[in-house]
Amino acid sequence: MTRSQYVRANYQVNATPQFHVLSEHQCEDIYYGALEALERTGAEVHSQTALRIFREGGCRVDGNRVRFPARLVERAVRSTPSRVVISDREGHRSMFLEGNNVYYGPGPTNTYTLDPFTGERRRPKKSDTVRAGIVCDALPNIAYAMDNGTPMDVTPTLADVHAFQALVENTVKPIIHWGFGIEQYQDIVDMAAAVTGSLEELQRNPFIILYSESSPPLRHSEEAIDKAIFAAKTDIPVIYTPCTFSGGVAPATMAGSLVISVADFLVGLVAGQLVREGASFIMGGLISTMDMSSSILSYGATELSLLSAGLTDVARYMKIPMFSTGGCTDSKVIDVQMGIEAAFSILIAGLSGANVVHDCNYMEYGATGSLELMVMDDEIIGMVKKILKGIEVDDEHLAVDVIDAVGPGGHFLGEMHTMAHFRDFWAPTLINRLRYDGWKAEGSKTMGQRVREKTQNIINTHEPERLPKDVLHRIQEVVDRAEAREAAKKISK
Amino acid sequence: MSNYFEDLAKSVIAGQQERVKELTRQALDAGTDPVEIINQGLIAGMNVVGARFKVGQMFVPEVLMSARAMNGGMDLVKPLLVGQELPSAGKVVLGTVKGDLHDIGKNLVGMMLESAGFTVVNLGVDAGPDKFLQAIKEHKPGVIGMSALLTTTMLSMKDTIEVLKEEGLRNKVKVIVGGAPISQDFAEEIGADGFAPDAASATDLCKKLLA
Repeated sequence: MTRSQYVRANYQVNATPQFHVLSEHQCEDIYYGALEALERTGAEVHSQTALRIFREGGCRVDGNRVRFPARLVERAVRSTPSRVVISDREGHRSMFLEGNNVYYGPGPTNTYTLDPFTGERRRPKKSDTVRAGIVCDALPNIAYAMDNGTPMDVTPTLADVHAFQALVENTVKPIIHWGFGIEQYQDIVDMAAAVTGSLEELQRNPFIILYSESSPPLRHSEEAIDKAIFAAKTDIPVIYTPCTFSGGVAPATMAGSLVISVADFLVGLVAGQLVREGASFIMGGLISTMDMSSSILSYGATELSLLSAGLTDVARYMKIPMFSTGGCTDSKVIDVQMGIEAAFSILIAGLSGANVVHDCNYMEYGATGSLELMVMDDEIIGMVKKILKGIEVDDEHLAVDVIDAVGPGGHFLGEMHTMAHFRDFWAPTLINRLRYDGWKAEGSKTMGQRVREKTQNIINTHEPERLPKDVLHRIQEVVDRAEAREAAKKISK
Repeated sequence: MSNYFEDLAKSVIAGQQERVKELTRQALDAGTDPVEIINQGLIAGMNVVGARFKVGQMFVPEVLMSARAMNGGMDLVKPLLVGQELPSAGKVVLGTVKGDLHDIGKNLVGMMLESAGFTVVNLGVDAGPDKFLQAIKEHKPGVIGMSALLTTTMLSMKDTIEVLKEEGLRNKVKVIVGGAPISQDFAEEIGADGFAPDAASATDLCKKLLA
């Protein structure tokens, strides 16, 4: 480099693109709005366990209504770790949910699945959850697994337990998983502990995150909040995620919806921190608008992206890891609308720096899970990751020497500098950039056809790392125990 | 006098409850037949609202405002209908099933039904077979509607239908079901009379079943 020796003052670097929806002051306003709602209006809680914890913890409890003094909520926020590290099934620490690290993956509990072989929209089976595990395992930009649909060919009250078995046996990636109630949560934790060897090891190096949804505005079912309490007691990270839709269960204004979302998260958080100070909580998460014609909770609305990015700003302000949403669509089929909505939301979620971005498989306003969408999202995530890496600016990248060596009218194809850097370009795997004749020679396939072929190919050929036989056996024992318990319940009923 | 009806209908469409009440009072003071006020003013306005909603010219919150305005007028007219039949499209008992607290969808169905002239008895959330059974005996509805959001709680819909059979009431009432995990197939499987994917079509379904 020919530049003379120098030092610089006040030099700033954008290592990545910069994107914020809310300023620090606006985040503060949302947070204080939530504290005010909790102190003044409070929340309705339908769990005796939670009511007792709140009462003993210093909340004002009146029947089912709980009002939260700000000091209690603030203490809970302060005692929540700002980072959660999740390992894979082999114990390698792989997801660092801290700062602005972003990890993408699918979502859970869809009531239909779009069959990638027949194109049929039908009820999910356990074999579909197996497929979900395999596809999550194979895709490089999918960081963790979720189930892609509630299996309905098993004991209904154990769909969660069976889905976990199908996932854990078919992917080494971390698993984020839901459960109907704390009995099933215990089954899931026991299966996970069978993999790690002990509960202590699972707590030290968790490869699962539990997931609980509450129903705004300011109402927490027994199952939802008891699951948060269970996770804190058991010392396993949990996502507490109110399902907030603007105009329906939250004000029609975006700031008001954020207030509801934060307040409802905080109800779960306070319960958890009262049970175990320092318990790992991740703030969810699902926030969008209610479509005022069809009354769906829209998964393709641009407001989903905007609201989720705003909520992520508030989570960062609170120094709590964030569970966000993207890669989803209201479309019913593999089509252009799906592509538009998925790409938009993956980009904005990425730019927002949310730690976990889920639902990269959600079609039809969440009703249908699609592995094809997940495969297409994997490609989009690759593109977005490239954007998030920004533009490096230093002597090597400014390349003034190379410009001088090539000179006016020359080309850079033969330069060592090009050799060293051209692989930094993002290279597509599904996006087609062939010239017309090449594309025609390969069968003139549309994006949808290429996505379907890749999905089928993964399901047919990908071999996930298998669990040892004794571990599989212990997992099966947990499932059998759960089946016996549910059968006994049915008889006593 | 026809002006009252036109203004009433317009005010219902615009969702202006106070204006509807005022006009209803004026019409009553002028000696207008209460049934005419309902049919040619209040319901006539609501019919326009329903039609506009269907084609995407009006939206859910506007429909609810119109329904509220219409009910403001209804409340004034109803006490004067002694001895006369209150025009009603039918009676519907609604509830979110046992173990489920999700009720926004069900409440939306209730408001849509009311705005279409149905009388609605709302059982709220966590309504098990017994609660539906009691409501049927008490209110004698033409239709009961069960709602569920969870794949576990939706199973209790079948329990309610079974209880109705045991009590010999199954043929006396139509059963409709709805909610995120519910499908036409599921409705048929459990022996329901109908399924509606959203609030507006639930109204059409009730009309069809009671026709």
